[in-house]
Amino acid sequence: MDFGRRAFLQFAAGAVGGSLLSPLPWQLAADSARWSQNWSWRPSPERGEITKAAGICTMCEGGCAIQARLVNGNRAILIEGNPANPLTGGGICALGASGLQFLYAPYRISKPMKQTKSRGDVSGFQPISWDEALAELGKKLSEMQAEGDSHAAAGIISSRPSSMADLWLQFFTAYGSTNLFRMPSAADGLKLAAQLTTGKASPFAFALGDAEYILSFGSNLFEGAGAPSAVFPALRQWTQGGKRSVKLVQVESRCSMTASKADRFLAVAPGTEAALAMGIAHLMVRNGHYDADFVKSNVFGFEDWTDGTGKKHEGFRSLVSSTAYSPEAVAKVTGLEAAQIDQAAQEFAVQPKALAIWAVGQPDSVNGIYHQLAFAALNTLKGNLKPNGLVTLTPEVPLAGLPPVQKQEKADEATRNGLYGFLDSVRAGSKQPIEMLLVHEANPLYSMPETKLVEEALKKVPTIVSFSSFMDETAAQADLILPDHTAFERCDDVVGVPWAPFSYYAVSTPILKPLLDTRHTGEVLLSLAGGIGGSVGASMPWKSYEEYLKFRVEGLAKSRKGAVADKPDVQIIKLSAGEAVKPNFTDAAELWKKLKAGYCWYDAPAAIAGFETVSGKLELACQSIGTKGAVADDKLYLPHFELINPSGDESEFPLLLVTYKPSFTAGGYLPNPPFMNKLIPNSVLKGGDVFTELHPDTAAKLGFSQGELVSLKTTQGEATVRVNISAAARPGVVYLPVGLGHKAYDNYVQNKGVNANSLTEVQLDPVSGMGTVWACRAQLRQV
Amino acid sequence: MNQEKSSSSAKKPLGVIFFLLGFVGALAVGWVVFPNLLYSKKAQPIDFSHVAHQSEDCESCHSLRADGTYSGIPRIDRCKECHESAQGSSEAEAKLVSDYVEKNRELPWKVYAWQPDNVYFSHAPHKGQGLECTRCHRDVSNEEKVPPYRENLITGYSISTMKMVECEKCHALKGASNNCEMCHK
Repeated sequence: MDFGRRAFLQFAAGAVGGSLLSPLPWQLAADSARWSQNWSWRPSPERGEITKAAGICTMCEGGCAIQARLVNGNRAILIEGNPANPLTGGGICALGASGLQFLYAPYRISKPMKQTKSRGDVSGFQPISWDEALAELGKKLSEMQAEGDSHAAAGIISSRPSSMADLWLQFFTAYGSTNLFRMPSAADGLKLAAQLTTGKASPFAFALGDAEYILSFGSNLFEGAGAPSAVFPALRQWTQGGKRSVKLVQVESRCSMTASKADRFLAVAPGTEAALAMGIAHLMVRNGHYDADFVKSNVFGFEDWTDGTGKKHEGFRSLVSSTAYSPEAVAKVTGLEAAQIDQAAQEFAVQPKALAIWAVGQPDSVNGIYHQLAFAALNTLKGNLKPNGLVTLTPEVPLAGLPPVQKQEKADEATRNGLYGFLDSVRAGSKQPIEMLLVHEANPLYSMPETKLVEEALKKVPTIVSFSSFMDETAAQADLILPDHTAFERCDDVVGVPWAPFSYYAVSTPILKPLLDTRHTGEVLLSLAGGIGGSVGASMPWKSYEEYLKFRVEGLAKSRKGAVADKPDVQIIKLSAGEAVKPNFTDAAELWKKLKAGYCWYDAPAAIAGFETVSGKLELACQSIGTKGAVADDKLYLPHFELINPSGDESEFPLLLVTYKPSFTAGGYLPNPPFMNKLIPNSVLKGGDVFTELHPDTAAKLGFSQGELVSLKTTQGEATVRVNISAAARPGVVYLPVGLGHKAYDNYVQNKGVNANSLTEVQLDPVSGMGTVWACRAQLRQV
Repeated sequence: MNQEKSSSSAKKPLGVIFFLLGFVGALAVGWVVFPNLLYSKKAQPIDFSHVAHQSEDCESCHSLRADGTYSGIPRIDRCKECHESAQGSSEAEAKLVSDYVEKNRELPWKVYAWQPDNVYFSHAPHKGQGLECTRCHRDVSNEEKVPPYRENLITGYSISTMKMVECEKCHALKGASNNCEMCHK
């Protein structure tokens, strides 16, 4: 019997037939389908009991109430708004909703790291224990202090108002260094303008919900930038009953989302918003359309004035009445029609509840101080700072003050605003070199305009310590990383909402246990302080960060002010200034319990009780500017339009580059998580290429077509971008979104577009030293 | 030609034998060898006796939560309610206390009825239809020791993981929908 080809085929036919009558093929087919459910890259949510944990989002300064959905109490699967909060009403922004992508991100730093190779080489990071990391940092800080080099320690922290920022200040003050800086923010300008005009160091706050006519100088309300929790309740109030009760006039150079939703869009040349404000003031004064009673009894410097030495000075009336601010002159500067300026001035003057706002939702372009004063002057002329007016100052949350710092002097406020000045001097190699830079919840190497300055300055600092939970651009350049918990794993708080007139405080409790070997930076500071001892240890006596927060809340409870919004129908935004709010807590323990449950504390806006200026009045002529240095010209006391020219040659760089903050980028300390990247339209980012927005006329003049790759060169740098021809752009100006172009993190975050901050230029405000950003000279050419 | 023909007819019975060899061999492999090769026997972390815990009905331990989701196998906190320290002298209980209760670790039970993630199954509507647990699960009322878990080497799921056809049959019988999105959402 030979087993030839034929026999084999007969055998095979039998085997096939037999197999088909056995479970084998069917089982394999079914199993292959089930096997596909085990692929490691296929998300497989943990199964178990679903619970909810309330918290407060601290990823920006908005302080929105959130709740997390958890499986078995340890795996977070969803962040959503908490409807129990009357301010946000269950709303949440795209960043908040994507928050878990940071918690579970592969670019989290899992344990303390030390750089063992050259700086910037991420492969050189070697894990070390917390004991080693703290000992190394503590030893260095103690040595520096013992040698009298306390000032050689510097810090850059988040601009977000929180008890953490106060703890940092306490640490630096006690340690003996004034070199603690907060990241620049729009609130800096509002604070300085308020300080110069009212004498109080609290940013201006706007009652958006009560206004009936809003003249917005570049405030991107609908982009939701800044603090959506403050802006959106007001927007909701505007559209109650399906009819908009507010007229919104948007002044800016690009037709932003807010401009497109406004009742009128005044497209001015970039940076000339303040010229329009002065033009409107000119007409109000000329026509007598201002609150003469308020100005007469409460305002200083409207008329010509005499200073303490008997020297006479020009007043605001005289300055603003000059022909430089006539509608014709302003029309020329801004590019508007004189009739448009007339109309805006007429409407603003006649509307009883008209409000000028600026810097709200505008984190990335900061006006110089005189421009901020010009916007503020419109509110002064309207009498908006009267009791129950539309403008107040951000009220202070009456938390327990920190114990007086022993030995060392308190850092002066001005130093803390001047981050750009500080970086400039570090880059130049100042007399007092900086030995160590501590960076917490900030990514200056990415998010500060003119990143080149930060890059060069950081190269001069021998030791950089990062507290970042993520391998961001700045952490990658650090020598030592002591990773913090993420916003969802730690105790934190929110002290006030920017630009909101009411008082707000919330405690953010962890929604789950820390996933990695990270440590709360507050606890790290407390343990460092204990290790350094002396005045530093004595000034920070708390055993844990939670104990420190409890201590602060005790002060809030003792003040017997405000109440906890434990019902969603509490009308926080409708409270009028000085209105009495009856406390609904008996003691600190009860208040702490309610705050920990995710409810917020609130109080009515603070009525402006008197001004603390030199004159005791609201100052249009800001006398305190004189104390900051010699004032050569009378107009330097007064609001006026003065554009700081960008550097570079106009013939080489014929265009202006202006950056804008769209609603779909994160922008600040945090990068765009993948969920948010899904929101970016193809006209802004396609693949790895970002689009620069260009007016059809400019594109025609340069001979560019839609989607073409071009080289965008500014005085600061160069990048390859694509052209998006859009009528939203102003002729002669090119626009670039901020929040893209990360180089760190992981494949899902990095190399998407260009970091606009690396192309922009910062100019120091001559009065405040504040970094101002409005435009940069640029050229586009074919590649 | 004739020679070839006779040669061919002579091989016919032999051909049938080859065919049958293949046929029977495949049947044997398919029905006996393959299932034994496909499944490996795995022991549960401890020997659990359902009999010893049957003072109440199934649902006192395997309950539905308030939101209608099924709680599955009780977690270690539930075990701790009685077994904070050993009550008897059994080896299984000693292991439970020393390895899991004292260390506050969850027991890594292998679940016989675990469905893949692409199946959306809720116990609540099935219970609402009055189905007995034993309609789908083994009867544990007399079980003193949990059976070994027979794990499919390809899929990692249990041999007793219910197949789609069984779901469909019952749905058809009861007049419930057999639309794809009933179970695959």
